[in-house]
Amino acid sequence: MNKGIIYTGKDIKTKDTTTGKLREWDPTRSKVAAGIKKGIIPNIKENDKVLYLGAAEGYTIAYISDILPKGTVYGIDISPYSMQKLLLAAHRRKNLIPILADCNKVDEYKDLILEKQDFIIQDIAQKNQVEILIKNADLFLKKKGYVLLSLKLSAISQKNHKKTTEDQLTIFRQKFNIINQRRLDPFEKKHVLIYGQKK
Amino acid sequence: MKEKILAITKKRVKEKLENPDQKIINLSLILEKLQLRINEVTELLKIITDQEYPSIDQILTIKEYCSFYILKNKTKEDLKELKIDENKINEIIDILSQKIGIVLKDEIKDITTSLAKNILDMIKVKEKIETEIDILIKANYINLYSIASPKIACKMIEIAGSFEKLARYPASTIQLLGSEKSFFKALKFNKRTPKYGILYNHPLIINLSNRNKGRMARTIASKISLGLKSDIGKKDISKEILEKIKIKISELK
Repeated sequence: MNKGIIYTGKDIKTKDTTTGKLREWDPTRSKVAAGIKKGIIPNIKENDKVLYLGAAEGYTIAYISDILPKGTVYGIDISPYSMQKLLLAAHRRKNLIPILADCNKVDEYKDLILEKQDFIIQDIAQKNQVEILIKNADLFLKKKGYVLLSLKLSAISQKNHKKTTEDQLTIFRQKFNIINQRRLDPFEKKHVLIYGQKK
Repeated sequence: MKEKILAITKKRVKEKLENPDQKIINLSLILEKLQLRINEVTELLKIITDQEYPSIDQILTIKEYCSFYILKNKTKEDLKELKIDENKINEIIDILSQKIGIVLKDEIKDITTSLAKNILDMIKVKEKIETEIDILIKANYINLYSIASPKIACKMIEIAGSFEKLARYPASTIQLLGSEKSFFKALKFNKRTPKYGILYNHPLIINLSNRNKGRMARTIASKISLGLKSDIGKKDISKEILEKIKIKISELK
């Protein structure tokens, strides 16, 4: 596990780079934290380069930037309202870089991200979620790089949830090997967190 | 590198937020809530003031009633300053001469007058918002403004989410905009689909007979969708379209 994350079995805490104090990571607000509670521990190293799709107002991405003292994290989001708050967060943290763009249209930010990334985290509730992840991984992810995908089942289909997860996983397996997969049940309803590695 | 990307995102955020659609949508949402609040508060106010001046509230509108209530002396000359119809003034004076109403305590009278002033302020804000929406739509989407009235135009943009999405809709979708619930319900149970959505309140449709409303909604929806497409190129074709609509109205039986 990354040294920045302090997990005692009950609370998850990280060291805030702006104030230097320990800060609690709420699993009901962040799907990555809920995954850590459920047993998916992402292999993010100190000097990794991370791409975060669907950064929103910057709750989770702030913690990710805390555990990367030598790395950088790109946050991409489509909404201009939440981007205003993300810009403020980027003003305080040196390694956070926000981009306003649509994750489905890679051409909008293809020129801005020059290096290949070590890790991709995706949290956008769309029908073609997995295809968006594959599109981005083809362009920006290194070979043997990791991905963390939070799948919102009710955004894809209202019917049989077991069948929809299997359908999405077959698309996911074309490009990635699955390391671990959990439902986020007490913290987040109808969500599945999938941790994989690029082939 | 980071500073370069930050500058680009800041520029993109400003471009998106200065879009007139977003302002129109926000203002129309405020307008809707404000109208509800005005109606709610006046209903509560009337419970007390109706004992003082009984059955006057049925003659006047909300704005007239509040400005009437604030007046200190309610003689005929004072009432003429409110710019109400003469028939209404005569009726009011007839009611006042009967002296049925009770006299309120000074403290309660204080509360009710200040409440009436507040309602008048809210009505002023509402009128300001309406003129602002008018200006915004007229400056940007001239065809939509003149074919669909400004009230319906801002509702349509609100339902679609933005002007670009609205412009891509076909005429049949525009005709049923706002009646999605009953439309899908009708499809589910194999029953008759609705004829119109928010277009029902269009000034050219609302006064027609029940038989002709559906027909007129169809033609106006098709003309609106034509106008929307020429709004993208900022070309004004509203006069020609309005003439065609007038011919269509004269053909109705």
